[in-house]
Amino acid sequence: MSETRDRVHRHLDTVGLMQPALHHQTHAPYPDAIDHTLFKAYTRSPHDVGGEADVPIVYEEKEEEVWELNTFVLCECLAWRGVWNAEERRRRQNVDLGQTQYLGLPYYGRWLLTAARILVDKQFVSLTELNDKIAEVKKRYE
Amino acid sequence: MSKPVYDRTHHEKKAKGVGDPQCFAGQGGTPKFKVGDRVRIKDTPDLFYTRCQVYARGAEGVVTELVYESPPAEDEAWDNTENVEWFYSVVFAQKELWPEYSGTFGNDTLETEFSERWLESA
Repeated sequence: MSETRDRVHRHLDTVGLMQPALHHQTHAPYPDAIDHTLFKAYTRSPHDVGGEADVPIVYEEKEEEVWELNTFVLCECLAWRGVWNAEERRRRQNVDLGQTQYLGLPYYGRWLLTAARILVDKQFVSLTELNDKIAEVKKRYE
Repeated sequence: MSKPVYDRTHHEKKAKGVGDPQCFAGQGGTPKFKVGDRVRIKDTPDLFYTRCQVYARGAEGVVTELVYESPPAEDEAWDNTENVEWFYSVVFAQKELWPEYSGTFGNDTLETEFSERWLESA
């Protein structure tokens, strides 16, 4: 592709980011603002996307990174040790974290976050212990 | 508050040397449907969790296989394995699912699985 075409597409992409969006205030709406259709939409499982209109996404040929493989093994070990079964893992990874995190985080990012969450939920570690450990590990990289 | 105690081995005891869902074989009762039956996917409540795809609700298809017996996803997602159900593979015409589906590909089908609670005779 020529330099000009590069510039044209970069321009079109950039302008696209500037399109005005109309935001509606939706924080804690009054009950009469939520009809059955909206209730169903808000409470639907974020992973049940079959049939929803969307734009194509770019498919990248990519190997898993080491942390992603480690995350997979970690989650399998949690199952092997009886902390969760596969369906509970899916519920937590795909549904419980909500639409924003489901769409906003990488696939294995959701797995990792969920692994930490179940250890806290079932009191294998306390949230205090988890946060102290995160702080301790962070210090190693300072 | 004291810590709740979870039995971390109950599933391992059940599935060891057998596998899952094989460890639930024989617990689903008499299957309500057989291969070739025409069924409709029920549009019943699905608060908090399900694996019954929304696009299939109300659609009619044909049972192609009784796949296995297992606790339904809605229970197993909370580690409840008390009630075991038959799972069925159901095939739909793509035109049944998507009104705008092109007639050029009118013979296309889609096949997916449901537990028994999601099916009724059509």
